[in-house]
Amino acid sequence: MSNATAPTNSTSTEPMDTSAPARYSKRPKYSRFTQQELPACKPILTPRWVISTFMLVTIVFVPIGIASLFASRDVVEIVDRYDDSCAPSGSRTDKVRFIQSTADKTCNRTLTVPKHMKQPIYVYYQLDNFYQNHRRYVKSRSDQQLRNRNKENDVSTCKPEDTAHGVTIVPCGLVAWSMFNDTFRFSGSNNVQLPVTKRGISWKSDRDHKFGKDVFPKNFQNGSLIGGARLNESIPLSEQEDLIVWMRTAALPTFRKLYGKIEVDLQAGDTINVVMQNNYNTYSFNGKKKLVLSTASWLGGKNNFIGIAYLAVGGLCFVLAIAFTIIYLVKPRRLGDPSYLSWNRNPGGH
Amino acid sequence: MTSNRPSLPTPGSTGSDLSSSTSSNNSDNNQIPNLHSLQNSSSQLSIKSNSWRASVNFGSKGVSVADSEGFSISRREINEDDARLVYVNDPLKTNETFEFCGNSIRTGKYSVFTFLPRNLFEQFHRVAYMYFLIIAILNQLPQLAVFGRGASILPLASVLFVTAVKDAYEDWRRHKADKIENNRLSSVLVNDQFQHKRSKDIQVGEIVKVSADETIPCDIVVLCTSDPTGVAYVQTINLDGESNLKTRYAKQETLSRVPGKDVISGLIKCEKPNRNIYGFQANMEVDGKRVSLGPSNIILRGCVIKNTDWAVGVAVYAGRETKAMLNNSGAPSKRSRLETHMNREIILLSFFLVTLCIIVSACAGFWLRRHQDELDIMPFYRRKDYSKEQVENYNYYGLGMEIFFSFLMSVIVFQIMIPISLYISMELVRVGQAYFMIRDDKMFDAASNTRFQCRALNINEDLGQIKYVFSDKTGTLTENKMEFQFASISGVDYSGEKIEFYGEQGGYNIQVDGQVWRPKMKVQVDSKLLKLSKTRNDTKSSKEIYDFFLALAACNTIVPIVVNTSNPNEKLIDYQGESPDEQALVYAAAAYGFMLIERTSGHIVIDIQGERQRFNVLGMHEFDSDRKRMSVILGYPDSTVKVFVKGADTTMFKVIDESLNLSVVKSTENHLHSYSSIGLRTLVVGMRALSIAEFDTWQTSYEIASTALMGRAGLLRKVAVNIENNLSLLGASAIEDRLQKGVPEAIESLRKAGIKVWVLTGDKQETAISIGYSSKLLTSKMMQIIINNNSKMSCKKSLEDALVTSRKLINVTRASEDDASSVALIIDGTSLVYILDSELEEQLFELASKCAVVLCCRVAPLQKAGIVALIKNRTDDMTLAIGDGANDVSMIQMADVGVGISGQEGRQAVMASDFAMGQFRFLVPLMLVHGHWNYQRMAYMILYNFYRNALFVFILFWYVLYTGFTLTTSITEWSSVLYSVIYTAIPTIVVGILDKDLSRKSLMTYPQLYGSGQRKESYNAKLFWVTMVDTLWQSVVVFFIPLLAFWESDIDSSSLGDLWTLAVVFIVNIHLAMDVIRWTWISHASIWGSIIATCICVIIIDAIPALPGYWAIFNLASSGLFWICLLGILIASMIPRFIVKMFMQHCKPCDRQIAREAEKFQNAMEITRNGEIEMNLPHR
Repeated sequence: MSNATAPTNSTSTEPMDTSAPARYSKRPKYSRFTQQELPACKPILTPRWVISTFMLVTIVFVPIGIASLFASRDVVEIVDRYDDSCAPSGSRTDKVRFIQSTADKTCNRTLTVPKHMKQPIYVYYQLDNFYQNHRRYVKSRSDQQLRNRNKENDVSTCKPEDTAHGVTIVPCGLVAWSMFNDTFRFSGSNNVQLPVTKRGISWKSDRDHKFGKDVFPKNFQNGSLIGGARLNESIPLSEQEDLIVWMRTAALPTFRKLYGKIEVDLQAGDTINVVMQNNYNTYSFNGKKKLVLSTASWLGGKNNFIGIAYLAVGGLCFVLAIAFTIIYLVKPRRLGDPSYLSWNRNPGGH
Repeated sequence: MTSNRPSLPTPGSTGSDLSSSTSSNNSDNNQIPNLHSLQNSSSQLSIKSNSWRASVNFGSKGVSVADSEGFSISRREINEDDARLVYVNDPLKTNETFEFCGNSIRTGKYSVFTFLPRNLFEQFHRVAYMYFLIIAILNQLPQLAVFGRGASILPLASVLFVTAVKDAYEDWRRHKADKIENNRLSSVLVNDQFQHKRSKDIQVGEIVKVSADETIPCDIVVLCTSDPTGVAYVQTINLDGESNLKTRYAKQETLSRVPGKDVISGLIKCEKPNRNIYGFQANMEVDGKRVSLGPSNIILRGCVIKNTDWAVGVAVYAGRETKAMLNNSGAPSKRSRLETHMNREIILLSFFLVTLCIIVSACAGFWLRRHQDELDIMPFYRRKDYSKEQVENYNYYGLGMEIFFSFLMSVIVFQIMIPISLYISMELVRVGQAYFMIRDDKMFDAASNTRFQCRALNINEDLGQIKYVFSDKTGTLTENKMEFQFASISGVDYSGEKIEFYGEQGGYNIQVDGQVWRPKMKVQVDSKLLKLSKTRNDTKSSKEIYDFFLALAACNTIVPIVVNTSNPNEKLIDYQGESPDEQALVYAAAAYGFMLIERTSGHIVIDIQGERQRFNVLGMHEFDSDRKRMSVILGYPDSTVKVFVKGADTTMFKVIDESLNLSVVKSTENHLHSYSSIGLRTLVVGMRALSIAEFDTWQTSYEIASTALMGRAGLLRKVAVNIENNLSLLGASAIEDRLQKGVPEAIESLRKAGIKVWVLTGDKQETAISIGYSSKLLTSKMMQIIINNNSKMSCKKSLEDALVTSRKLINVTRASEDDASSVALIIDGTSLVYILDSELEEQLFELASKCAVVLCCRVAPLQKAGIVALIKNRTDDMTLAIGDGANDVSMIQMADVGVGISGQEGRQAVMASDFAMGQFRFLVPLMLVHGHWNYQRMAYMILYNFYRNALFVFILFWYVLYTGFTLTTSITEWSSVLYSVIYTAIPTIVVGILDKDLSRKSLMTYPQLYGSGQRKESYNAKLFWVTMVDTLWQSVVVFFIPLLAFWESDIDSSSLGDLWTLAVVFIVNIHLAMDVIRWTWISHASIWGSIIATCICVIIIDAIPALPGYWAIFNLASSGLFWICLLGILIASMIPRFIVKMFMQHCKPCDRQIAREAEKFQNAMEITRNGEIEMNLPHR
């Protein structure tokens, strides 16, 4: 950029101040924008503002926290871990051998309703220590194949469950392959069947757009290693709601998935008999299986965390509001007082 | 005090050798004015434009400078090994053995072919770019493919592209300038005829002819000129920034030969190319005679020939070996201090990154090891692929490799820990800041019609951290226009009312052949004195006034040139000379009716009140730095002879005969004191009539001295000292080098802002000090330490003494708490020669850092750079250099920030500068206002970007802990890429360009607020760590509130990812909103707009059925828990920050905070400011 001799033309030809008044001025056009003087609001947090902010947070958070806690308290939840009891006691290898065998895996469980449960009662299965968010796992699916019949061979992402015997699998991939296949049947205290509705357990958007109405399972679970559920090859994927629910991979290694809904109220003290087929192999990786029956509140399931958190934040803000009030009262400072400027405080010492 | 800017200061020990060799050699061609021949010459009055040139051969400054008395070796041999042999008019032979460099120059960095590789190479010098390139490459490996291909390359590619386009444009401009320069035609002797040749084809040894007003294409040794005495006048504006004419000589041996007619041959032996523009050492063998050549025989590339029809010379240095190019030390690309610090923090961030990656990969290894028996059929791992005949491992390469891969993958996933987008944002922000600086109408100079120029785009924020300002004097602090102000004539002070001679008839003029001649410059005159000077009677005072103005008009080396104007009946007389002071004096004399209209070596013609008089110049004693005066011996028409002397008061009063009139001397001394105390440059004028005997003695010794071959200067000085005595005092003059408007106020502001202002000037000490006073740099309360030595030992001693005194004084002031008395150091270039680059540097630095003011006088361009380097290398403080001439270029380039004044003196300083502007006083808004803003903005932006990216990375990291350490992201890949591009990019840029922590008014009223930048208040290691802790807290809140709220629920990974995405974008923008100080509609639009844009993007991404997260956001938004989580995250994450901020604001308010409050609650401020002087609010 520094060219010693380049601008000679400018020095020799440039008219100096002898020239007539400049024909046009280069003075920048004045505008509030270019002079950085746009109208602006300059909020300054005065003590009043600070204290009212804290108070406002308190006023908003404490009621929400209380409401959340009440909502959570109203939720009735029955959790039953059945993986241990529904398999022969013994070492893990025994359990794995059992689950891989063709033996009858029917298992009976009895649950007691602790409180009145209003319908709909959601039936979940809960898996622990199952990494549905494992990188190898989440990637092993083909969303194209699921919704479009013509993309049936779009299985490059599905390894190692892309083909079996040289034929592509629909639905391909580890996710579909490992589909949960325990089944539950419920009956009330007087042996009355409690019907479980399986319709509408998946997202409507998934049924309508994500899973094709003309895509049918094909060559599924035909490999040498069976991962889980088999699918009825005559029902299109869009109606295979268990699959749709399973394919929405869970965010966390402990997760629940909706199995169905019981649409009758249950009374406190009622006992429920569950007849289940304990097919799904979680023994090989120390996973737990739980059956969950739960009502729902406006906040979802039973979880006190959010209520406690809100109360804590609300309470903290209340304390802070008090603390700042005290600080402002004990050690007031006039805002914008130039005597606080550093060079005014210790003259000559900057 | 006759010379203003020495044209040949001696920059080194070789310099003094050189000038002495020149001085003795110049005797060859210095024709001695012969009394008799002059008297015989006809008294022609018509003035031909060339007549004055005939023998003005006493103007060489080389003679006068630093000629040491005892130096008798006149011809120093040049070492044969170091010599460059140039065969005159024989380029073939010259270039036979040594390949001398051709005359083409190249300042462009790239060519068409080298652009891509070289530019990429240079760009990848930025470690960050390299890093991202590696990441992008890693991501292409199938085992590691975390992101899609496009998503991973796009950010880096766009940055590279934008930068490359910018670089290409800049280089193209350089190439264009080179091309113009290289293709300029010049006249070169080929086969005994001058032919036009392109500048780049000139070779060393060729004979070049340059005509009037042409630029010299390479360094040439003058052989002959159109002038019969071999004089050429050159303007060196491009080289050292001086606009006045200098004389160069051809040697007697060559000046009679006209190239093309006579054969010119010879051998020039000269030193190797060097960058000393004031030194040249060579000898020339011509016709078997050996003559030596000095700096007055060489004309350097870039100079312009003026008032000489042509000059012929032989090229000795060409192309990049010319002194001009060598002095043009390549501009090192500057990097702002903030960016350097930022890079340090980026290294820290990369440690964080590596730590995170090590944690992830180690955990992944443990996990795999613990589960290694189960991996084969584990549904979510499935190591074995059973689809083939042979069951083999699928995508598994052994534990070690898996650990390695997860390390690399985590680098890819966490890559934005190092904020690449910051580099783009910073460039955009700087462009925006530059836009506002350029448009600032308070930095528009109406006089020269120039806007502020922002030439470097990467150091805007440095302007807010300057600790030292190095300023040139002439043209920077002053307007470089000398103006005659007051006169004291025989004890009477004429500093009364001034009449301006604008309008009406325009001052004094004379009639010549029916034409009106008037001086080019108009001077304000004192009405009383004007009246007195016009009345001619024999009263004593009238005679004294006559003699005074005659002395002003005669005792100088000014050459009048008649210039045509648009009006054919009007001509202007332009007084040309090396010293602006002399010019001012001559113009003043002309205004009072003593108009110098002709000067030859033998006589001058002065029009005195309409009556033309001719005086013979019988002899002249040049100004030199020992005597500090000059004298001229005038032969009156009535053949009386008088000697007129003018010089600095210090030396003049020694030679004035006080016995003649003691009261006059006393009152003149008083006047002088009052003049200089207001910063005027004073000169004392004296005179004496010579008796015939005296004159004869003088003439004999003068002739002997001027023909002497050895020690001529010393002899001449003795002659001068002998005649310059027993003078009667005529009076004193006061000249003002007008300070630019607002300079004292600007310096005052800078001083208040805690900035040390150093003045580095080529001027002599007295001038520098007087300007120091008038610009309020120096005050009378200050103690001055003057270092002015000729040897290393004496330098050492005076430095040590000065250190002792300054320490004492500082202790005293500390005890007395008196701020005003402080130390000023005044040091000259000769001393600096011994101090710089030696062990004395350390002492000088120690001394200088104790001083409130440092004035360096008579410094050479490279010394200026040396002084800047002295500070730059030893402290962490930022330096800014401001100058207007080419002699400031090296200093401008050396300093952290270089500012060029686009004034009268060429464009060199501007070309080398980072910022250019019209007036010195714009430094105040530039640094105090824009610099402050830029620094605050940029500092905040960097910290914010660190926070923003680290927050995102931490959230990703927490999630990885819940995925079996497999680097799954629940936040979609596209959101990850768009996060720093769309979701959060705009507000930080807008805030970086537009936010103002304080108004211009406050910043100007309280210059001390500038200190926050010097103290690095807005960006430092502590703030970085605080920010990082805050980031950690916020990430914990953002991650764990949803995690715990949705624990054991049927939430799917996309929904939770969406919640995290929205939460992080919301809090990142709210965080910014909390720190925005001025909310304009643009800040509102950008911050809330970003949040809306993010929501839209998330919705769009979730509306693509092909992605796993289809429709997740809609399902999520229908649940109450989502909204409650979001609100909780926003509040909980901000609480610690809010508390700390409020607490600090109340209990430990920083200056900026108080000033901000004062702005808002004006009333309180108005009261206290009453009575305070409203200062340096620039008018519009």
